Amino acid sequence: MNPLFSRRDFLARAGMGLGALSLGALSRASPLSPHPPHFRAKAKRVIHFFLNGGPSQVDTFDPKPSLAKYAGKPLPTDYVRTERKTGAAFPSPFTFQKYGQSGMEVSELFSKTAAHADSIAVVRSMVAQVPNHEPSLMLMNCGDSVQARPSVGAWVLYGLGSENQNLPGFVSMCPGGMPIKDSENWQAGFLPGAFQGTYIDPQHRELDKLIENIRSPHASTAIQRHQLDLLRELNSEHRRTRQYDPRLEARLESFELAFRMQTEATDAFDITREPAHIRAMYGDHVHGRQTLIARRLLERGVRFIQLWHGTGQPWDHHNDIATNIKKHSGEIDGPIAALMTDLKQRGMFEDTLILWGGEFGRTPTVELGDAGKSLLGRDHNPYGFSVWLAGGGVKGGTVYGATDEFGFKAVQDTASVHDLHATMLHLLGFDHEELTYRHAGRDFRLTDVEGEVMKAILA
Amino acid sequence: MIASAAMGATEPPANGREHWAFHQPRKVALPPVERADWVKTDIDRFILAKLEAAKIQPAQSADARTLIRRMSLDLTGLPPTSTEASEFENACASDRTAAISALVERLLASPRYGERWGRHWLDVARYSDTKGYVYTREERRFAHAPTYRNWVIDAFNSDLPYDRFLLLQLAADQLVAADSHDLAAMGFITGGRRFIGVRHDIIDDRIDVVTRGTMALTVQCARCHDHKYDPISTEDYYSLYGVFHGGEDRLIELAAVNDAQLADHKLKLAKTMKTRRDEASARLRARIADYLIAQTELKKYPEEGFDQILGADELVPASVRHWRDFLHTAKSHPIFAPWVALVNPGADSKATLNPLIAKAFTTPPADATEAARRYEQVFAEAEKSDEPGAAELRAFLTAPNSPTVVPDTGIVNNDQFFPFTAIEELWKLQANVEKRLIELGTRAALIVADLTPEPNPRVFKRGVASRLGSEVPRQFLEVLTGEKRTPFQNGSGRLELARAIANKDNPLTARVMVNRIWQHHFGTGLVKTPSDFGVRAESPSHPELLDWLALRFVAEDWSVKAMHRLILTSAVYQQASGATEPPLLAGFPSQRLGFEQLRDSMLAVSGELDLSTREKSAALLDSANIRRTVYSTVDRQFLAGTLRTFDFANPDMHVAVRHETTVPQQALFFLNGAFAASRARALAARLAGTPEERVQQLHRIVYQREASALEVEAASKFISESTIALPPSPALQETQWRYGYGSRNRHTKRLEFFTPLPHFTGTAWQSSEAWPGGETVWGQLTAEGGHPGVQRKFAVVRRWIAPLDCTVNVSGTITHKPTRGDGVRAFIVSSRHGELKFATALSSSVELSATGVELKVGDAIDFIVDLNGTIDSDQFLWSPIVEIGEVVHNARAEFSGPAAESSYLTPWEQYAQVLLLANEFAFTD
Repeated sequence: MNPLFSRRDFLARAGMGLGALSLGALSRASPLSPHPPHFRAKAKRVIHFFLNGGPSQVDTFDPKPSLAKYAGKPLPTDYVRTERKTGAAFPSPFTFQKYGQSGMEVSELFSKTAAHADSIAVVRSMVAQVPNHEPSLMLMNCGDSVQARPSVGAWVLYGLGSENQNLPGFVSMCPGGMPIKDSENWQAGFLPGAFQGTYIDPQHRELDKLIENIRSPHASTAIQRHQLDLLRELNSEHRRTRQYDPRLEARLESFELAFRMQTEATDAFDITREPAHIRAMYGDHVHGRQTLIARRLLERGVRFIQLWHGTGQPWDHHNDIATNIKKHSGEIDGPIAALMTDLKQRGMFEDTLILWGGEFGRTPTVELGDAGKSLLGRDHNPYGFSVWLAGGGVKGGTVYGATDEFGFKAVQDTASVHDLHATMLHLLGFDHEELTYRHAGRDFRLTDVEGEVMKAILA
Repeated sequence: MIASAAMGATEPPANGREHWAFHQPRKVALPPVERADWVKTDIDRFILAKLEAAKIQPAQSADARTLIRRMSLDLTGLPPTSTEASEFENACASDRTAAISALVERLLASPRYGERWGRHWLDVARYSDTKGYVYTREERRFAHAPTYRNWVIDAFNSDLPYDRFLLLQLAADQLVAADSHDLAAMGFITGGRRFIGVRHDIIDDRIDVVTRGTMALTVQCARCHDHKYDPISTEDYYSLYGVFHGGEDRLIELAAVNDAQLADHKLKLAKTMKTRRDEASARLRARIADYLIAQTELKKYPEEGFDQILGADELVPASVRHWRDFLHTAKSHPIFAPWVALVNPGADSKATLNPLIAKAFTTPPADATEAARRYEQVFAEAEKSDEPGAAELRAFLTAPNSPTVVPDTGIVNNDQFFPFTAIEELWKLQANVEKRLIELGTRAALIVADLTPEPNPRVFKRGVASRLGSEVPRQFLEVLTGEKRTPFQNGSGRLELARAIANKDNPLTARVMVNRIWQHHFGTGLVKTPSDFGVRAESPSHPELLDWLALRFVAEDWSVKAMHRLILTSAVYQQASGATEPPLLAGFPSQRLGFEQLRDSMLAVSGELDLSTREKSAALLDSANIRRTVYSTVDRQFLAGTLRTFDFANPDMHVAVRHETTVPQQALFFLNGAFAASRARALAARLAGTPEERVQQLHRIVYQREASALEVEAASKFISESTIALPPSPALQETQWRYGYGSRNRHTKRLEFFTPLPHFTGTAWQSSEAWPGGETVWGQLTAEGGHPGVQRKFAVVRRWIAPLDCTVNVSGTITHKPTRGDGVRAFIVSSRHGELKFATALSSSVELSATGVELKVGDAIDFIVDLNGTIDSDQFLWSPIVEIGEVVHNARAEFSGPAAESSYLTPWEQYAQVLLLANEFAFTD
């Protein structure tokens, strides 16, 4: 028998398409085994703060002093078509200030994060496609606003595998339930299910509720060890006459992995093992906890983590934005800053890519409710919004692109979501045009037929 | 050219049209072989010829036990029972060929067959019980899904010819009576994700499931540009787009429902819909000028998928587009020809104008705005005018497909024509109807019904709906029709499309299906990409065989079962497994069980599998769900993590080949999950006798074979170590009684197998929630007595288990009261000593007792009741007593429901679990 053939066949059975083979994946035993990217790169893992609902750029990272001139009056420009009606110019009720050597302007809502301004590259010229949450979430997470496509995390896992086989390689945490579009946001699409994000509700403190089947109510560790020893014996005997089938060994091994996973996961999710001052730095509330859990997971080799703000769409500030955005930014500014500090002091900042953003931004004009009454909030805006990146391979202190005078539309160095994805893959060591998977007669990629790396934000 | 491609050339031909798959299967002579003695069916010649050419010997024949396990799991998704296995072994010993044929027939006749093979098709059909993401106003479950699923299962069981199977799924609305159960078939088209109602995307999904599912053509690739590799143009795509655009989704009931609540919900929906449609249509008529002016600035009105929250005072983008599409065809329209001539001066208008319009346009209007105002005025005046032409104008305003009317197609199809508040209101009313239908478990179908003929579709340039390109007729794919292509003639053309697909002259349809059948039998298709037969697909491993099978399939009247017979009786299928390259098949490729096979097998060997219920769907992880996995809910929005972990087919897309991964989460499910532990408990509860006997029983049940000496030794070591290492579980409140059923062997006078009755009502153990119902139908045990099952093989068994080595006295009286029927038979059987007592009771009481019975710990005493002859008035009273010295075990007093589960598995349960976890259980040779 030709051993190469059987392995190839095994990989095909293991769900690895040609793309994986083109990555030179012949030695992979499990779809999640670690794997080098196309070229050397600094970033090895990703953490994505997802401000679901759509954070307002003009209240956070894109100051627009001109709005003050027209406060309460219509803006002297064509209004972009959004989901609802908007009216007069609505200057930010928050003050902006310059931070760091770079002098990056950030609003008071993210003053703690802004202490790391020199490590951050803000992209102020992002554009999405439509002013609706559902398609925009899909676009930001999966690169296609409509079709069921693998999420960014699934692609990254497909490309890199995971460094820790005892933990899920891609984790999505969202306190209190799921965001809009549920698990579609971290789907594996046509990739094997193993690449799908594992959802965790960090509101729970008991491990059993965090990860399905992680503990047995039916047997102690000693009993299980005893069972697994017998299992190995039976499987070895069964395999004696079936050496030709590598799947038998793989399945046997998976039970041992599962056994180890129970211990490892218990440890990873238990933040009481952190010193008091670290816990205090992140804060004893759900966002602090989920960010600290995330750091423990990153440290243990989890490849991709998404931290959602909360169930539904908390950052959807149609009403009374002054109060609501302050509440929500207050919940995460501290934990984000703490994570950056913590990663820096552990030497992990350089190889961890941090992404901050939502599915789109918001209008600089005030939203109108029934009978044209101001709601003191902002409508959705896919025509111009901000995200920022930091860490692995990102040039800190950078401001990339710009919106118009009022923050309606991106006008300079416009960056599509595909561009963002291309840049993220680049930072992880991939040519986004070469990371492909054959499905339904076509080689698919995260960036479809588009995407240009934003070179100016690379270190 | 075709021949060279078919011979396995790897380079795709320069011109895609020459590609083998686009040409008729060729009749070929059966290849000559040297070892003609090996050949059992013609299939074998094709396989053997290749092996001989490669100088490889086929493998030996598989042994009988391997074969029955392989064939049972393959055809029914369930392992054989040990009785079936040993009977088959015996039968093989006398006449192997006859035994195999008989087995194939038995398995194909089993209703379990459709449950396995129907599921293969459900992968293709991207089956889900839910719609995917919907707004909260909408019911998220499909009311029709379980009915479609069961229709598919039944279609396989009844061997519905495959061409008919396809025709019904694509166009049952035009083939069967309006109340036919076959309308359920259309769930194939309508069961996809709803894409929050965006029609282009719903249609795209339907084009994909139809073209990849039936013909392995990736037509979807041509949505934005011509197919990169295959000869499929964007025009082809939009021809099919037109076919699916010309229909409305309609939910219908397939069974009469007499439910006041449902009627009330429907009435409210209908009334409100009428009111809202009237209001919205009135607004459309009142703003004709605005809608016409909007035609000159279409960019302001976004396409579907760009949602705006609209007030009643705003122009409705859907109506703006409705006007756009209407005007596109109106260059000779008696009312709108002047408009078309104005905005599109090149258009050659030959209309006979409506007199009032002619009058209004005697002087040319200065611009479009003025023309629009004139239209509005003419329409307004026509409202109360008797002049010639007024009636025509009024008729235009109320014609069902007029742009001034909201289409009467139900909220599922017309919601974009309403302002936001009405959309919310109407969807909620629709949800009430759907919820009630689901609650009632009504058999329902979601059909596509053809609408009045629509204009021809237009190409969306680069797939963007607002960038309309040239008009194309509704017609079949050019690569398959060639130059003789004519546009579809009737309505949407969907029936014509269906006939072009389900057609013996379609070079793909039969090949694609026989390849799928081959794929599921051997693990890999002759074409490795079963849903892509395009230019870039790898050539078939055995092109002549593929063609031969396809022709045979059609010749056998598209009988899927005939294909199974052919394949299963072949020598190539009956080979022993071993090191083999899948394309050559020098040996049977061993297979890992898929998730459904694994879960169902576990329930089968634990004796719990509920085969009685088919309606509705059950939550996969509900501990009470002991039905076959195919009947579990598939929720595409919240797909159970377990399903995902086990590479279940992604219900968002047509799936041809499931991934097969090995990840530790799968192991965690078996190791820690409640499901596996419950099965291990139930399995251990079936055992009785000495440790060695138990080990043998377990191996017979789980693996259909005897345990080896080595295995017995390993087991006994495991049990003793486990018993010593672990304290007995203090929480265990279990009694010594078990409640089940089984078959009494009249030769050995012993019970064959004991299977626990799965359902406890609070006062009775029985086969399903409903009594009579479930496997044994009438089988029931209560504290006082019970009722035997519907056949002798379903005797009810009250079992007592010896808690220690002991000597017991058994007593009690069986009473049969009814004066009808022929009474019941009662037996007391010891697992150690065999039959102790026997009696028949008919309108009488009989005492049954035995004294001084010596038992070992774990031995069982069974109190068995079965039919005396017919099933008629067979309820009985019998609550026996077992005494161990002073200790009295009273069946009535100790009658109980399921034992409170102890926190830890007992050593025997742990052992049973290990057997279920082992590779031998998870793979077939």
